[in-house]
Amino acid sequence: MDPAVFKPWEMELLGWLIYVGMVLGLLAAFLFMAWWLGEKRQARDKDMPYECGIVPTGSARFAFPAVFYLVAVFFLVFDIEGVFIFTWAVAAKDLGFLGWLRMSLFIFVLLLSLFYIWSKGGLTWGRRSPGNPAD
Amino acid sequence: MTNLALGGMDAVINWARSYSLWPLFFGLSCCFVEEATAFTSRYDLSRFGAEVFRGSPRQADLLIVSGTIFKKIAPVVLRLYNQMPEPKWVISMGSCCNSGGMYDVYSVVQGLDQILPVDVYIPGCPPRPEAVLEGLVLLQEKIKLERPTRRILHLAGGSQGGRRDHLRLGVDKDRDPRGPGYQQVPVRGSSVSPPGFEDSRARNMWTPPAPTVEFTPVDRSLIGQLHQRFGDEVRVQAASNDHLTVHADSAQVPEVMRFLKEQSEPRHQRLEDLTAIDESARRAAQDRAGYSLVYQAMSFDNASRVRVKALVDARRPQAPSLTDLWPSANWYERETYDLFGIEFEGHPDLRRILLPHDWEGHPLRKGYEGRATRMPPYTQTDALNRQPLDGGALVDSRGGELMVLNVGPHHYSTHGLLRVVVALDGETIEDIALDIGFHHRGVEKMGERQSWHQFIPYTDRVDYLSGAGNNLAYLCAVEALAGIEVPPRAQFIRVMLTELYRISNHLVYYGTFVQDLGAMSPIFYQFREREMIMDIAELITGGRLHPSWFRLGGVAMDLPDGWREAVKRFVEVFEERLEEYEKLVRQNPIFRKRTEGVGVLGLNQAIEWGVSGPSLRACGLEWDLRKKMPYAGYDKFYFEVPTATGGDCFARYLVRVAEMRQSLEIVKQAMEGMPQGRYLSDDYRYHLPEKKDTLQDIESLIHHFINATRGPRIPQGEFYHAVETPRGEQGYYVVSDGGNAAYRLRIRAPGFANMQVLPGICRGLTLPDLVAVLGSWDFILPDIDR
Repeated sequence: MDPAVFKPWEMELLGWLIYVGMVLGLLAAFLFMAWWLGEKRQARDKDMPYECGIVPTGSARFAFPAVFYLVAVFFLVFDIEGVFIFTWAVAAKDLGFLGWLRMSLFIFVLLLSLFYIWSKGGLTWGRRSPGNPAD
Repeated sequence: MTNLALGGMDAVINWARSYSLWPLFFGLSCCFVEEATAFTSRYDLSRFGAEVFRGSPRQADLLIVSGTIFKKIAPVVLRLYNQMPEPKWVISMGSCCNSGGMYDVYSVVQGLDQILPVDVYIPGCPPRPEAVLEGLVLLQEKIKLERPTRRILHLAGGSQGGRRDHLRLGVDKDRDPRGPGYQQVPVRGSSVSPPGFEDSRARNMWTPPAPTVEFTPVDRSLIGQLHQRFGDEVRVQAASNDHLTVHADSAQVPEVMRFLKEQSEPRHQRLEDLTAIDESARRAAQDRAGYSLVYQAMSFDNASRVRVKALVDARRPQAPSLTDLWPSANWYERETYDLFGIEFEGHPDLRRILLPHDWEGHPLRKGYEGRATRMPPYTQTDALNRQPLDGGALVDSRGGELMVLNVGPHHYSTHGLLRVVVALDGETIEDIALDIGFHHRGVEKMGERQSWHQFIPYTDRVDYLSGAGNNLAYLCAVEALAGIEVPPRAQFIRVMLTELYRISNHLVYYGTFVQDLGAMSPIFYQFREREMIMDIAELITGGRLHPSWFRLGGVAMDLPDGWREAVKRFVEVFEERLEEYEKLVRQNPIFRKRTEGVGVLGLNQAIEWGVSGPSLRACGLEWDLRKKMPYAGYDKFYFEVPTATGGDCFARYLVRVAEMRQSLEIVKQAMEGMPQGRYLSDDYRYHLPEKKDTLQDIESLIHHFINATRGPRIPQGEFYHAVETPRGEQGYYVVSDGGNAAYRLRIRAPGFANMQVLPGICRGLTLPDLVAVLGSWDFILPDIDR
């Protein structure tokens, strides 16, 4: 291999590798100590989820309502927004007015979709008290 | 060399462990309030490394079990202990937890150490917050003697994490509440144990007959209406001690009650109480006939009550259900079924309510053994085998489509041992059921064997946040039955203390409610004023939570020197402090958002379900027994009855805050207008006479001797008296057949009636809303489960 390829990097790569090694070593040490030092006692109650002292009903693997997924997906979509905005913000001066305009358009489109989701009731969580039919 | 190294490591590890104790609370009853107080700023628990209680066993290394352990909750305690990581320690707090304490009754476990190993016992009933701190210091000392290093390094030997074994009955543990060494001596009080009473000399004593009431014009009109409608089928009891009583055939009762509710003038809108009496152990042989069902209805129109009694056959105890007339009859009938074994035809869901689902027998029957120490012991094996009912059996999960979640019995937001089972669709509550009875202390059974005076301390513990106010409810009923006059000074002292305890109760309510909604600071501040009240109570009565200081005919002692200054100090600062707390909370947008319009209860619904107290007044009805049916001298005080509209969590909060201001006014008036004179009635037939009198004349000495030992004989009769406690209407229905203990003692607890309506208002709300509703409701479990 041509040593010149790594020339300006040589020392830094080595340092990085040492660093990675140390991190992995430390992690392994922590995990080993946590596994070895802790008292290991197996019991039926211990493996059971805590549910206020009562034996839980059913399993935790059942169909969750879609609202949890909707909120998760919306979060991801709008989270990506941040990735673009932060990178743009770092170079905002260099990109100039045109960059700002493009970013504004991007944010505007996202805002539009946010309002659309909002108006469709995608952000509504549960129901509020329906009041009392008796009165 | 090795030993030196290991010993050094031991010292380091033990130091770290003893100054970083993470306690898991298992608060069962009164002791828990003192345990919680130890965590407030005045006592500062953080010196042990813990800033807050741990909510889950996974985070804790110390389990503090405080209060009475019931046979229904024992499996839960054991499970939480088993779910804790190693190493772990256990503190047993309070005499109830250590040995059953004063509750030697069928539903109570005689000591935590029968179920799991205990490291430190804290004695007392309840122990003071300082005792909790002392217990933690003792545990630290104990931890420092452990040798954990060898165990940690998986070498042979060493020790860590407290004891491993639990005590075994008959080997190293005795069930006798008096402690070990008493096996040959009979348990105290056998002469007054039902159903015999053979040895009691109370029957040889003479008392004047109980006073009876004259019928009012309204009563006479009601009697006329009943006769017109039912003819001879309804018999009016000629003389009654408290209010109009009619007897009917049990099959006829639903008709009579419907008439009283819907057609009679005045109409009786609320089912006040429904209970039974086992008549089989009556003193007079001709009275021993099956079970009496006792129904009480209450009229809001003219503040009056009417009682309907019906006999049911002991061989086949059955009666028709009232559930389609009053929804609130549901739990009352389940309770009567649970405790007496009377079946109600037409009840939608007749099963046990207070006792575990697999319990055998009906404990309030006279033939049922009342003492736990005479029943087979409750051991660790029982705790492993007798599990609470599966949550899926209590709610409709639509065939497993919904998530069934247990909130409680061990949970922050349930304010005690309440189990709420919810079926969730996402976060929305589709179905909800309440499981109560985890705090059933069998107090009504205790009332049948403790003498009239001995029972006073038990009333304190029925609602441990209201202290002296509880004594009042019981004493009002007994005093009225025996015709005892209370002197004005005693009345004023009683009112002053009762109102101080009302403020103290509402302060805890305020703090915990706001804490449930996520704000930590208010509760720490509010315990500051609460401790001021506790200090006053201590100065006057010598006790904190449970003063047990009121007596038949007055109070135990006169006010001590310096009481006025102490009360004055409190009165001067409290109003201002309350303003401050209000500023912290009232305008907080998060608090408003989480309480306004949440958990709405309509007025009609509240009345149908028998809701009383501040929760009823938050629906807009101005109804307060202190004003409507004055007792204990409340008519001598000026105060207003705060109400709010909306019936939501915010309205309930507003009413209670306004009530604190009114109570403060009453305390002020009592302080300023405190009359001179005796603190105890001078007719010594039923009282514990003043000590100085017993040293002067032989009559007083004899009365003191008899009333302190076998107890006074209260004349035959029955009396129902309700008072306005901080939670609502707490009624005591005392039935005497002329003995030194009650023949039947029924407690109409406000919580029991108030709770039934909760599932109805929580359906459709989200889980966080449920926490808000529970927090705003101000219930306390010993009051519900008794």
